[in-house]
Amino acid sequence: MCRRQVQKLKSNENQDEKKGTIDEMRELLRKDATKQVIFIICFGIAWGTIYNMQIFNPLVFPKGTDVFVNLYEGFVYDDLLDMTMYSMELIGKGLIIGVVLAFVFSGISIISKTFNAVYNLITSICDLLPGVALLPLAIMWFGIGEGVIIFITVHGILWPMSRNIMDGFRTVPSMYIEGGRNIGLKGAGLVLGVYIPAAFTSILSGLRVGWARAWRGLLSAEMIFGTTASGAGIGWYIFSQRQVVNIAGVLASLIVIIAIGVIVEYAIFRVVERNTVRKWGMLGR
Amino acid sequence: MTKEILRVRNLVKNYHDAPDSRNIIDGLDLTLNYGDFLCILGPSGCGKTTFIRCIAGFEDYEGTIEIDGKEVRGPGIDRVMVFQDFNQLFPWKTVEKNIQYPLKKNGVTDKEELKRISDEHLELVGLKGYEKFYPHQLSGGMKQRVAIAKGLALKPKVILMDEPFASLDAMTRNRLQKELLKIKEKEDVTVIFITHNIQEAVVLGSRVVMMSRQGGQLKIDVENTIPKPVTPASPGYGEMWNKFNSALEAELTDSDE
Repeated sequence: MCRRQVQKLKSNENQDEKKGTIDEMRELLRKDATKQVIFIICFGIAWGTIYNMQIFNPLVFPKGTDVFVNLYEGFVYDDLLDMTMYSMELIGKGLIIGVVLAFVFSGISIISKTFNAVYNLITSICDLLPGVALLPLAIMWFGIGEGVIIFITVHGILWPMSRNIMDGFRTVPSMYIEGGRNIGLKGAGLVLGVYIPAAFTSILSGLRVGWARAWRGLLSAEMIFGTTASGAGIGWYIFSQRQVVNIAGVLASLIVIIAIGVIVEYAIFRVVERNTVRKWGMLGR
Repeated sequence: MTKEILRVRNLVKNYHDAPDSRNIIDGLDLTLNYGDFLCILGPSGCGKTTFIRCIAGFEDYEGTIEIDGKEVRGPGIDRVMVFQDFNQLFPWKTVEKNIQYPLKKNGVTDKEELKRISDEHLELVGLKGYEKFYPHQLSGGMKQRVAIAKGLALKPKVILMDEPFASLDAMTRNRLQKELLKIKEKEDVTVIFITHNIQEAVVLGSRVVMMSRQGGQLKIDVENTIPKPVTPASPGYGEMWNKFNSALEAELTDSDE
């Protein structure tokens, strides 16, 4: 009697489990991520089919797997890893300098009205200049080397970041500012204690735009004058793959660039966002 | 012995935001004693908020405002403001940190001491257990309680309240009024409380004044001798209510003409 009951219970559990997995599958299918994965698979199949039909010259339309072979070989036998790390190191330096400068200048522009007017003008003008357009000038000033690349990345991030920080600061609710002044904050203390956290949503979006621009500027700069005295970056790698007409290699380096973008977005921006503005309820649902 | 805490003499406030801008407050005098609970009533646009903002130090003014004999020039923690807006807490700090942060910025650095003060004041406003919550997870009434706790924790000489309960529903408002009175009994603080609600003023105030719409003069200034807790059934409540109500109505009809 007792055993039967236990068995019955067990079979019930099994049924529940089965039902659970079916529900889970349905849930999975409903998710955007699943749809996106299915799209990527379809894309791969379409690529393979077109390649097999031999419509295009394989020189310009390589075999799908060749791209990944090239990716593997690039990392293992070629300098793709070193070049990627070199690019990341440069952009890292540029980003740190750019972000610090953006905060310092935007901070001062809160305290001083004159500086605010001038800095607004500078930001508006420089924001219009693509980094690549400045390259000839930068080469004249800094020579061909790391300095130019860092100059281009700083230029890429500084202005959109400053613009966003200043816009963010301008739209801080007066309630927070008065609250801050009421507890005795002023000057730099008020900027650090109230303006920066209150404008954090704008600051984050400034970082996103700035990072994207700096990354683009860096790649273009690397492509244009190739290797620097101290090393070459991923931009140069793409360029050299084209020179030897290795389209699969070009595509492989594009995948690396995309991967870096994805990592930065998900491992950095999303994580920061989740632990700050999202946690603080400062984002719309 | 009663001690003077606030002295306002010939206060004039004009925003000068238009060529013909009028004086919102035109020669206001007020003296407030230590420990008083002053309620300021007045029709909208009479300058109640402007007045309290002058005391808080958020506005320039002509005339004198002195707290404990010291002239007010700019904000300071001896006068803490509680606003009507629910969003006066910093959303990026937990409830606990919202209370501790102003203390930290004003010289209290010992972690245990900070914790003790924030716990004590959260308990005072009935929000024990909400230390780690972020403001967006609280209701409007709870946010106002935290704002009051935050203000009290700084041990100000005067706590300035600008219609803190005006955006709350009637039930919550009544409850918070009662709690504020209890807190006032426990804590050694002077309160200036702005409201447009006569009931609120009579229930809370130990002294009730009404500002006129033109020139922000004190039109009525009475001691509220009705014993606490004040309810509509308390003797004297009706008379007081009527007195303020007809004065307010007179103000409104005057300015409509």
